[in-house]
Amino acid sequence: MNRYFRELSVTGALAIILLGLAAFAPAFFQPQPLLSLATREAPTLIVAGGMALVIITRQIDISVGSQFSVSGICAGLLAARGWPLPLVLIAAISIGALLGALNGLLVAGLRLPSIVVTLATMVTLRQGLNLVRQGEFVNLPDSIQWFGLSQAAGQWALVIFTLLFTVGLGVALRHIAAGRLVYAVGTDAEAARLAGISPQRVTFCAFVCLGGLTGLAAMMNLVQSPQIQPLSGQGMELKVIAAVVVGGVAISGGRGNLWGALAGLMLLACIAPALTHLHVEAYWEKAIQGGIILLAVMADGWRARKGGR
Amino acid sequence: MGRRPLPPVPAIIPLSPPHLSFAMKSRILRLTVAVGLILGSALSTRAAATKLVVAFLPKSKGNAYFISCKGGAEKAAKELGVELLFDGPTDSNAAKQNEIVENWITLGVDVIAVAAENKEGISTALRKAQKQGVKVVTYDADAMPDARSFFVNQATPEGIGHALMDDAARLLNQEGEFAMITATLTAANQREWQKYIEARLKEKYPKMKLVAVRPCDDLKDKAQSEATALMSAHPNLKLIMAICSPGVPGAAEAVKQAGKTGKVKVIGLGLPNENRRYVHEGVTDSVILWNTSDLGYLTIHAGVALAKDQLKKGAKEFTAGALGTFQIQGDNILLGKPFVFNKANIDQFNF
Amino acid sequence: MRTEPQPSPRDWPTRLLRHEMLLLYVLLAEWLFFYFAGTTVNRKGVLVGFGTLDRQFDILRHSCEIGLLALALTPIILTAGIDLSVGSLLGLCAILFGKLWHDGGLSLPLATTLTLILGGIGGALNATLITALRLPPLIVTLGTYSLFRGLAEAITRGAITYTDFPGEFLFIGQERWLGLPTQAWLFFTVALAVTLLVHRTTFGRSFRAIGFSPEGARYAGLPVARRLALVYTLAGIIAALAAIIYTARLGQAKADAGTGYELFAITAVVLGGTSIFGGTGSVYGTLLGVAAIAVLKNGLACLPVVMRMNAAEEMAGLLTGALLLFALAGSVLPKLWAAGRSRRSPPSSP
Repeated sequence: MNRYFRELSVTGALAIILLGLAAFAPAFFQPQPLLSLATREAPTLIVAGGMALVIITRQIDISVGSQFSVSGICAGLLAARGWPLPLVLIAAISIGALLGALNGLLVAGLRLPSIVVTLATMVTLRQGLNLVRQGEFVNLPDSIQWFGLSQAAGQWALVIFTLLFTVGLGVALRHIAAGRLVYAVGTDAEAARLAGISPQRVTFCAFVCLGGLTGLAAMMNLVQSPQIQPLSGQGMELKVIAAVVVGGVAISGGRGNLWGALAGLMLLACIAPALTHLHVEAYWEKAIQGGIILLAVMADGWRARKGGR
Repeated sequence: MGRRPLPPVPAIIPLSPPHLSFAMKSRILRLTVAVGLILGSALSTRAAATKLVVAFLPKSKGNAYFISCKGGAEKAAKELGVELLFDGPTDSNAAKQNEIVENWITLGVDVIAVAAENKEGISTALRKAQKQGVKVVTYDADAMPDARSFFVNQATPEGIGHALMDDAARLLNQEGEFAMITATLTAANQREWQKYIEARLKEKYPKMKLVAVRPCDDLKDKAQSEATALMSAHPNLKLIMAICSPGVPGAAEAVKQAGKTGKVKVIGLGLPNENRRYVHEGVTDSVILWNTSDLGYLTIHAGVALAKDQLKKGAKEFTAGALGTFQIQGDNILLGKPFVFNKANIDQFNF
Repeated sequence: MRTEPQPSPRDWPTRLLRHEMLLLYVLLAEWLFFYFAGTTVNRKGVLVGFGTLDRQFDILRHSCEIGLLALALTPIILTAGIDLSVGSLLGLCAILFGKLWHDGGLSLPLATTLTLILGGIGGALNATLITALRLPPLIVTLGTYSLFRGLAEAITRGAITYTDFPGEFLFIGQERWLGLPTQAWLFFTVALAVTLLVHRTTFGRSFRAIGFSPEGARYAGLPVARRLALVYTLAGIIAALAAIIYTARLGQAKADAGTGYELFAITAVVLGGTSIFGGTGSVYGTLLGVAAIAVLKNGLACLPVVMRMNAAEEMAGLLTGALLLFALAGSVLPKLWAAGRSRRSPPSSP
């Protein structure tokens, strides 16, 4: 109980909101809108999985939004040129991984602080993209819509894939040696080094994973609509970091897991539609999200103090 | 000329690292100055510009609406032999618009044409421009009347509001619930249109009900999520009216994905190209818009005429090149009636 | 916690100043380059562009708010903290100021004073969460980043914009006083105050000590919590002042005021040589960083080539990001190289 306090409390908060909605706005629970909501949030969840990896190794990446835009636009341009879907998918993931590798190289290779490195790459990538594209939309061919499936099938496929992937990643993180390395490095890099692990290599891999997953997420976003906007990833970094942290992944590294991140993301993602259904004005959305983040970290703080005594 | 006050330099120089000798330091300094000078002179264009310079400011420069305005503006600039500068924020940002205008003032442009993101905010910068002899016209969204000479009005807010509301009433047979998606709640022209839509609703269509107004921040993705939420929150919703151009395809995509094509209708202000697919699929019934390329064309013509003293306050008509004569109402140059694009005619337009 | 060796006290000012000197050279080269490449004579024979006094003053006016936020962040980053919420707090304070004056009917000086106090309270909220609960500043301020902006939107319902401020208030943001833009005087006053605080008082030394090692500082008898509370509250007050200047410059207060400013401010501080891990850095560096970014951004907008591409802002962003990466890499590469060499040739002692 104690060990998973944070994950349980977030799940509890989510359950309370869902129960409240069931009581006051049962219209929220219709299969089609819920499926749409899940489909729209699926790419964010994939990125959140990668972000959890990076934060567990005690780093952070605030350039994911820019990586998302860049890989999305590049993939979109390739698709518009008639590249077949599998190749576009591979290209999106590789571009993401490459951008992640750049961050990883600077952070792990040169031992620079990740928050500043990714701040710099965030600005550089975003402005570079704006410079080249001038904010223009890319029109996508019909053939890659929903991976060529029908819409309903595409939506189910995306959601199920995302859930399976998250579960898989979560299990791998806990039970496979490579996953445990991540925790080892985040808990105590020096101890990990003495145990024969290269913290640098693990950190680098975490960044590459996050980049690749961001590319994958961009692709999952791409197939959902006939046009792609260069601003599509703007603000994603904060949403993803907030979801991961609310879900109980400690920013000081070494602690947290993916089902916490899943619950955290669901909690934050439910707020906007919940407000619409409860007929509360949408302007409170950001303030409420901020409040939830603060409550989550305060819960951490209080527990740490109690535990410390 | 202007020496900008540098941060406290003298506090640093005496403390400079001891191992850099004085000679070495002065060499670095000389090198720095030389690099600056050489590169600077190489790129310098000191030849006096002879053309009139017209600067054209959109609300956000990636928006397809303004890109098509720019097309018309470029055509006009070519005809008139003036140089056109086109710059704007990548996102709709009022503070950035001010900075761009202030930059243009010191660059000595002759005419500034502005689509104002925020009416009062931009006016401080525009008044400053007028004080320095720059001619100012606004288009698409007006600034304060004292901050510009003319406003090129694509259609009166009344005309737009009534056209949209009447179209909605026609589709719903004058009864049922509908919702609206706007760009941002702060954009002046959106508020104005909303006002006339609501007034028309109250006056003529008592059986229709506006259940919600949602902002989409000029983002298509956001419009889509908002529309999805609206449909599930208001099961009796019959129509979504989007009054910003990214909002229409966003809402249409949401309706299509929800499988409510035909049950929830979409109308709005939008570009033919962005909506063609949905109009043909029957998701979007019609989009209303003026000819955006003509709007840019007319704006540049008006600005240049103003700078050449061919257009004066109190004029009743204005002739703009190939497009012919336009009416002037007060200080508004009117582009004409909005146009309704539907399945029958949308393929004839490409912008 | 810290494993890397601390530089000896005699060593770090040398290193620091070298960074600042380099930045000064970059700034100088930048300025000269734009002075010659960005100044032209227009059709009427008038000198226009970067070299005009007006342009120089515009640069100053446009960088005051971000400069103030950077000044507020310098002591915070010296203590190895961070504050992501300053931009949002700027927005909230602008709205509160508009509301107090417009709806509350308060006089301008009173509204200004109250806004500064409210800014301080916003900063104090960060401070309380960070010191009393010992939470990581990154996450706390990520939360308040969202919270402050959200409150600003909720108060105005996203729709209200406060305008029609009287001329004597707009004077702060749009006119000149004693030859300089009015807000520049406020900016220089704050800059002087922060410089004195960081470089000439024991407070400044305690910030660095906390940045190097909070535990060490605590054992040395420093009131760590109180010092941290001071820097975050001060940041709130400075953000409120920036909000007043922003409102006066644009003549409007709206909920989106200052969006994204925190990133520019952090960039300026780090570019100025302050280590994000805390402990080292200076206010001079921050001022140079702010100036370097502002000159780059405004200078590019004056270059004919860039103007024709209509991409001044993007190029400025791109170059700032690249400059930051180079500055970072430049600060560690020699160290890594030295480490690599010593590893390759092991000590020959028995």
